This record gives sequence, structure tokens and C-alpha cells, in this order.
Amino acid sequence: MVAALAAGGAAIAAGVHASPALVGWLGAATFFAFALATGATARGLKAPDDLREPREPHGPSHPAPLPKDVTRRGVFGQIWGIGLGAFALLAVVPFIALARRPSTPGTAWKAGSRLVNPDGKPMRADDLAVGGVETVFPEGAVDAPEAATLLIRLPENTADVDPARHDWVQQGNIAYSKICTHAGCPVAIYRQQSLELYCPCHQSVFDVLDSGKPVSGPATRALPQLGLDIDAHGFLIARGDYVDPVGPDSWWRPA
Amino acid sequence: MIVRRGERFLDDRFGSNAAVRFFLAKIFPDHWSFFLGEFALYALVLLFGTGIWLTFVYEASPQGAYASVVALSTATPVGYLVRQVHHWSAVVFVAAILIHMARIFFTAAFRNPREINWVVGVSLLVLSSIAGFTGYSLPYDSLSGTGLRIMDSVLLAIPFAGTWAADVLNGGNYPGPQLLAHLYTFHALFLPAAIVILLSAHLSMMVYQKHTQFVDDPGHVVGRRMWPDYALRALTAFAVTVGLIIALSATLEINPIEEFGPYLDWTVPNPATPDWYAAFLDGAVRLGPAVEFRIFGHPLPALLWPGIVMPAIVLAALFAWPWIDARIAKDSSPHDVLVPASRAPWRLGVGVAFLFAGVVLTLAASDDQQALMLHVPVTALVSAYRLLLPFGSVGVGVLAAILARESRSRRDEFGGAREPKRVVALRRNAKGGFDAEAPKST
Repeated sequence: MVAALAAGGAAIAAGVHASPALVGWLGAATFFAFALATGATARGLKAPDDLREPREPHGPSHPAPLPKDVTRRGVFGQIWGIGLGAFALLAVVPFIALARRPSTPGTAWKAGSRLVNPDGKPMRADDLAVGGVETVFPEGAVDAPEAATLLIRLPENTADVDPARHDWVQQGNIAYSKICTHAGCPVAIYRQQSLELYCPCHQSVFDVLDSGKPVSGPATRALPQLGLDIDAHGFLIARGDYVDPVGPDSWWRPA
Repeated sequence: MIVRRGERFLDDRFGSNAAVRFFLAKIFPDHWSFFLGEFALYALVLLFGTGIWLTFVYEASPQGAYASVVALSTATPVGYLVRQVHHWSAVVFVAAILIHMARIFFTAAFRNPREINWVVGVSLLVLSSIAGFTGYSLPYDSLSGTGLRIMDSVLLAIPFAGTWAADVLNGGNYPGPQLLAHLYTFHALFLPAAIVILLSAHLSMMVYQKHTQFVDDPGHVVGRRMWPDYALRALTAFAVTVGLIIALSATLEINPIEEFGPYLDWTVPNPATPDWYAAFLDGAVRLGPAVEFRIFGHPLPALLWPGIVMPAIVLAALFAWPWIDARIAKDSSPHDVLVPASRAPWRLGVGVAFLFAGVVLTLAASDDQQALMLHVPVTALVSAYRLLLPFGSVGVGVLAAILARESRSRRDEFGGAREPKRVVALRRNAKGGFDAEAPKST
């Protein structure tokens, strides 16, 4: 009775688009009322709980699996084994056909690509305040896969980065891939005090001053660094695509 | 009246009464813990009900998926409720399976002749977890999209074939155009079909081989009649489970995708932690060693060990457990009577150690939040968990085994509750005194 009432209530509440909580509780009440009724009946039965029924083992059974006129020969076994193996191999064929040659297409960054923020606005060398950070993309390719890059403005007095990559840094602007080399998560957090990048997925930490090398956490490879330059109009541009592969490692990653 | 007519209709055509009668009169052993698996079954019923409804609104494309799930909440309040019920059911489903499995393990119900049903059960756990993960990924929100990206990276870590596997799943480089369509087919077609088939086998085997019991009477099934007694209890359990899940869904919001926003490969919510049943894998990935070996000039990424090798070993051990157990116990004979965990300290120890390791890995999946709360560096917590995983698990397992052995020997000392009592019957004799009858065990 109560169950039917509650169900009706839930139906009406759903019909008038009442709050999910109300509909939900009325729905739940339907089941609780039903449970009370069945539970009470079960108790009321006062049925015995020590009824017995014989339990016999199902095996071993006695007749041999094959009639006598079917003789077992070793060849049979081989047919089964080789046949099954062949079928299994055949079943894999369509999947092998599906797979393409592993490709490493690189990202959308090209030599001369302007760095734009997620709204598509090109970045100048002094757009970021010292200590600031922004996610940037190549112009015309915002949200392109694997292209997300972190542009960081280093404090003036700590601009002593890897000498070999000195040209890659422009007026304290330094850029690293935002795709973690461990499992592909966005390395979303910049720790301004310690000049580290931190991945919220598995807590890998990368050193901004030391070529993006992993400091702690499960990552084993440095974040790829994007070489920066400044074009004639004063906008930050890329020197080219990433030299190192972006994202997680795989068997086919070039050494 | 209606029931009787229906029964007559069927019986006229199939002669089904004998079978119906056989089933209704069947005896089921009775114990509260035998209902654990049923909770999973009832959650599954709810999953199918809500899932079919959800297929009418979901759009499996990278562009449309998130919007279609959010629209579900904004357009109709009931749509929101249905999604919540579906997600909560999934959580309860996997939890119930695990607890049910723990009961089977600790009471040694997996022994001969039920090894195959244990293997089917473990397969069901695996399929259910994959179904959970694919379902959680379908909204393609910022959190679950990141989860997919991690899964893609784990696939890529497989030597030689990993790139192909990821390529087939994505239909191209991540996030390929077909990724969601593939996940959807798995979630709404292959996995439910496989679960139904295996579940049918699971239940048929259980009915055919008859349920195990605690009552020490190997020659008989001791319990309650299927109808009306056991059926009413099962119905009550069904209604309570469904009612609780709906009440939970109406009260506590789970997976608030509106707050996470749509997935872009450069955004992620912080903190980022997956659904609880996948968390042990994430925890393992966080604790995994930061080493990359090379063989033949090819990298073996760090993700390979916690993401592929560890789960493979755990699964192999779970599948093989009935045979490992038989070898340790030096007993491969058939059993229908359960062994309480306290009577087999070594099995208790193994189970407790296994569960402890699972808990440590699950906790490790939110080590960043714990570090924040405790004001310690994450790296310190990682080191602590790395130590706790092997030593803590073994320690707790050994401790549990020792405690069980102690309590057992104590019980034996004080008359042994589990040992058959020696009953002495007194009989009045002709002289007005008492004579003891020969002691007999019950």
C-alpha cells in the first residue's frame, strides 16, 4: 500500500520536475515499504531453518566419455591442438590489420609559430609578470593535441639555465611541454617559489631551471623544452617543434 | 488466481510443474553472509534498468559526450537522478562483489568442487571493474578524460604491441576520433553481455553443485525452503539494496562532472583521484619506481611495472588460488562444509595481507591530499607507503594468523567451542541415584 503510494508520488514528482532529492526519496520509500512488507511476512512465517535435503557428489561419473567404437588416436589430439592454434591466430589477423604503423607525428609547433594563450591572443616577452605562468599554443592551433605548452617568466636573477639552451630563453621567458612524460597528464601546477613543475596525477616534479629534468615522483624523462625566439613585431615565437618526443614513452619511442 | 493461471498455461505446454516444484522446494543454506553476492546481483539489476535509459540520451563522440551528459542533469531532474543511481549502483556492485569474494575466500568456499566457479567469479570481478572504468570515462569530463589518457599511456608502455593496442582502441593517436565510440560499445554491449553470460554460469553452477554451508553435515544441505521462506528474504534484500542505492543517489552527489568541466588534454582537476575500485592501480602507479630500462634499444617505461605487470601477477594469483590453496593445505578432496577463517590461520593471514596491500595502494592514490592535510611532503608519504606495502602487509598477515592460532588453541584449552562437545547423559537408576551413559559425540 505505502509502496504504491510512494511510487505514485515519485511518478507525480518526476512529472512536475520536482527536485531529484524528492523524487529519489519517494522512489527509495517505495522499495523500503516493499522491504518492510516482505521482511515482516518472512518473519511471520516462522519457517524452520534446519530443513535437510540430501547432498550427493556429482562426480566422478562412470561411463567413459566416448562410445567404444570411437577409438582415440594421437592424431585427434594433434588436430585439436594445431587447429585451435590456427583459428586463434586467424582471429588475431583482423586486429593486426586494424593497427597502423606506429607514428610519431610531432606537435603543431613549427619554426616561427607565435605563442598564443588559450583565448588565441599572441604573447609578448613582457606580457607575463615575473613569476607568472600561462598555457600557450601555436597560433591557429589552440587545443591541438600534445601542443599545450607552459610559458613561465623566470625571476631575473635566476636566469642561469642550461648554457646549451641559453638561446631558448627570451627575457626570462622559458617554455616546457605541459604533457607529462610519465602518463600524459597535464603538468598543471607551477611552484613559483621552488621553480618546479608539479603533475597532479602522480606527483612527478620537474626542475624548471635544469632543462625540465625530473626531481621526484615516477617520471623518468625530462619535460621537453620549447626553444623560444622573438619576431620582428616583438611577439614570442617557437624556434621549431619540440626536439624531444612529447608525452609518455612507448616501445617505439626513438632513443 | 493469475499466478495459478500462468502456471497452468506453462504446465500445459511444457509440463513444467515438476521442475517448478523442484525449485520452489529446494533447500538453501541460511547465513547472513550468503546474501553478499545477492547484493551485487540486485545492484546489477539497477545498473541494467538505469543503463538502458541512459543509452537514449548519451552521445558517444568526443565533441558531444560531455554536453549530452550535462544536458541530462539540466534538462530533467530525473535524468540527473538516473545517472546518480547508475553510478552509485556501479560503486555498490563492485564493492558487493569484493566483499562476497572475501567471504568465499575466508570460508574456503572455493575448494573442490567449486574451483571453476571461483574462476568465473574472479572473471566477473575483472569484467565489472572494466565496465566501471569504461562507464566512468564515458562523460569525457576533465577528470575521466585524464583517466583515459593515463590508461592510454599504460597501454603504450606494453612492450612491442602497446602502440598498436592503443592505436586500435583510439582509432588513431590519443585522443582518437573513435575512442569514445569504442568505449561505449564495450560498456553498453560486450561487457554487459559477457557479465550476463558468466553470471548465468556462476548461478547455474551454484544451484547445480548446491550451496556450501556452515552446518557440519556433509551429507545434507541444511537450510530454508526456496519458497516462500528464502524467496521472501531475497525479495527483502533486493528492495533494501535498491532503496538504499536510490536514497544514496538522492542524498550524496557522486562524480560531479559539472564541476570538472569538459576534457581538454591540458586541463585537469586537482586533486585527481579515480573511482575507488580503480584507485589501487593509480596508487601503484604513484608508488612505482622511477626507472626506465631499455632492451634492444627500446624503452620499458616506468608505467609497465605498476600498470601492467603488477595487475597481471595479482590476477594470475587470484585465478590460480583454489589450486595454490589445495597445495598448501595438502587437501584437494571435495568439500561442501565451510571452514571459518579462524580455523585456518594461514589462509586468514594470506587474505588479510592481500586486503592490507589493497588498502595501502588505494590510500596511496590520494597521497597528495593526505600530504596536504598532514603538512608533510608527498615524497615522504610515498616512501612511507613503499615501506608499508611489503612489510605492513606481511606483518599484518602474520599477526592475524598468530592471533587466530592463539584464540583457537585457547578455545581448545577451555573446552573448545568448535570441537564436538562430549555429552554425558545421566539416567536415573533404580536406586534413586544417577548413572552416566557412555559419552557420545553429537
